[in-house]
Amino acid sequence: MTTCTPSPLLAENVGSGCGENAYKCYQCKRCTSGCPVARYADMHPAMIMRAVQLGQLDMVFDDRFIWLCTGCETCTTRCPQGIDIAAIMDELKIIARRQGRIPAGTPSAAMLKLNYDSFVRWGRMWEVELITRDVLKRPGSAKNWFTLGPKMMLKGKVNPLLKKGDTLAMKRMVATAESITNARMAQQKKEAQS
Amino acid sequence: MSATMAYYPGCSLHGTSSEFDASFKATARALDITLQEIPGWECCGNTAAHSTNRLLSVALPVNELAKVEQDMRLDSVAVPCAACYSRFKIGPHEVAENAQTAADVRAVVGRPYNGGVEVQNLIDVYHDTVGLEALRARVTRPFRGLKVACYYGCLLTRPPKATLADDPEYPMHMDEVVKALGCEAVQWNYKTDCCGASLALTEQGIVDDLVKRIITDAHQCGAEAVAVACPLCQTNLDGRQLMIAKQHPDWKHMPVVFLSQMVGRAIGIDDKALGLQKHLVDVAAVMA
Repeated sequence: MTTCTPSPLLAENVGSGCGENAYKCYQCKRCTSGCPVARYADMHPAMIMRAVQLGQLDMVFDDRFIWLCTGCETCTTRCPQGIDIAAIMDELKIIARRQGRIPAGTPSAAMLKLNYDSFVRWGRMWEVELITRDVLKRPGSAKNWFTLGPKMMLKGKVNPLLKKGDTLAMKRMVATAESITNARMAQQKKEAQS
Repeated sequence: MSATMAYYPGCSLHGTSSEFDASFKATARALDITLQEIPGWECCGNTAAHSTNRLLSVALPVNELAKVEQDMRLDSVAVPCAACYSRFKIGPHEVAENAQTAADVRAVVGRPYNGGVEVQNLIDVYHDTVGLEALRARVTRPFRGLKVACYYGCLLTRPPKATLADDPEYPMHMDEVVKALGCEAVQWNYKTDCCGASLALTEQGIVDDLVKRIITDAHQCGAEAVAVACPLCQTNLDGRQLMIAKQHPDWKHMPVVFLSQMVGRAIGIDDKALGLQKHLVDVAAVMA
C-alpha cells in the first residue's frame, strides 16, 4: 500500500452508521487469527480496524478484503473489547457502495447487489435468478454452474420455481427504510459541515 | 409434547434445499408439532440486506415476528435456516438495545412488535420443544453408534449476545440430540468454523479450501458422517467435495446430512420422504 488519502471522518461515519466505536480496537488480532478469509486478501480484520482509526480510505477500499467477509461473526464473538467487527465490515461495504469505491476483481460485491435487488423485486431472494443474472454478466462464471448445478437439478435438490412473498409490503418497507436512512445521512452531512 | 409453532422456511428451503424443508416438516408432524407457515413471508434481511441497508435488515425479521405475534397469535416460530435464524435473533435484540433503532423499525414495519415470540432453530426444536427424553422415547431405528461430527457453522451460535447459545465456541446441543438417536458424537475442531457461505457463488476456490479443512478434520477425528443444521453449510460441505475430489484423487467422501434427516430416519420416517437421494455425496451407507 503506497497510496494515502486520510479522512478523519471515516471512523465517525462508521460509528454513526452502525453504532460501533472503532477506536476501541487495540490490535490484539484475535479477529484476524479466527477469520476464515484473512489469508485470501492483502488486508485482514485488524488491519482494516487500524486503517479505519487512521482514516486510511485507500487501504480499506482498494483491497478486496471487505468483500470477502462472509459475515460469520467469529471476530465479533471473540473481540475482547466487545466491538461488533462484522457490523463494521458491513458499514464499510455500505460506504464503499455509496462512494462508488468497489475495486475490480470483486464479484461478491455484484452478487450482493443481485441478491438485494432480487428480494426487493420478489419479496424473497430467488437463487436461480441470481445465478442466471450472474452468468449473463460474467459469462466466465458459467463453468462454475455447469459442474454442480445440473447435478443438483437432476437430483431434485433445487426447486427452480419461485413462490413470491408479499411484494407490496416489501416495497413499502424498502421505501421507508431507504428514506429514513437517506434523511439521517443528509442530516449528518449538514452537521459535519457546520 | 404437542405444540403449534409458526414456520419460517426462508429462501433456501424453498429453493436449493428442498430436502431440508421436507425432512423438517416430516419430523415435526411425526413428533406432534403443528407448523403454520407465515403467510406471504418475506426475506429475513440476509447478508445482502445488512451490507446494503442496516435499518431494513433489522426491520425485515421484526416484521415477520409481528405477523406471528399479532396476526397468527402464536408465541413461537421455527426457523430451520441458520442464517435466517440469526437475523430473527438480531432484529429484536437491536430493537431492545437501541431506542432510535426501535422507533425507526416501528416506522418501517408500521406497527410495534412486543417481543412475545420465541425464535427456535432446528436444534432448539428437537432439544427444547420436543425434549431429549421424549425424542429418545420415539426412536425406533437407533443409529447403533454411528460416529457423527456435529457441525454448527457460523450463525447457529453467533452473535452470542443475541443467540444466547449454550457455548458459542464449542456448543453441545446438537451433539446431545444425535446421542439421543443412538449416535456417538465425536470431539473435533471445526464445529463453529465458517464453510465460506455465499462465497460459493463467487469465490469457489476459497470455499473448496475451507470445506477441505473442515471435512479433513472430521475424518481425522474419526467421524463417519457430518450432521448439519444449515442449508448453505450442507450445500457447500456436500457439493464442493465433488470439486475437491477432482483435484485430489485420493479424496475420501464424507456424507453430510441434515439433523432433521437423522431424526427422521431414527423415528422411522421413510427415506424418500426425507430426501436422502438428493445429496451429491451418497449417504446410503450411514443412513441405512
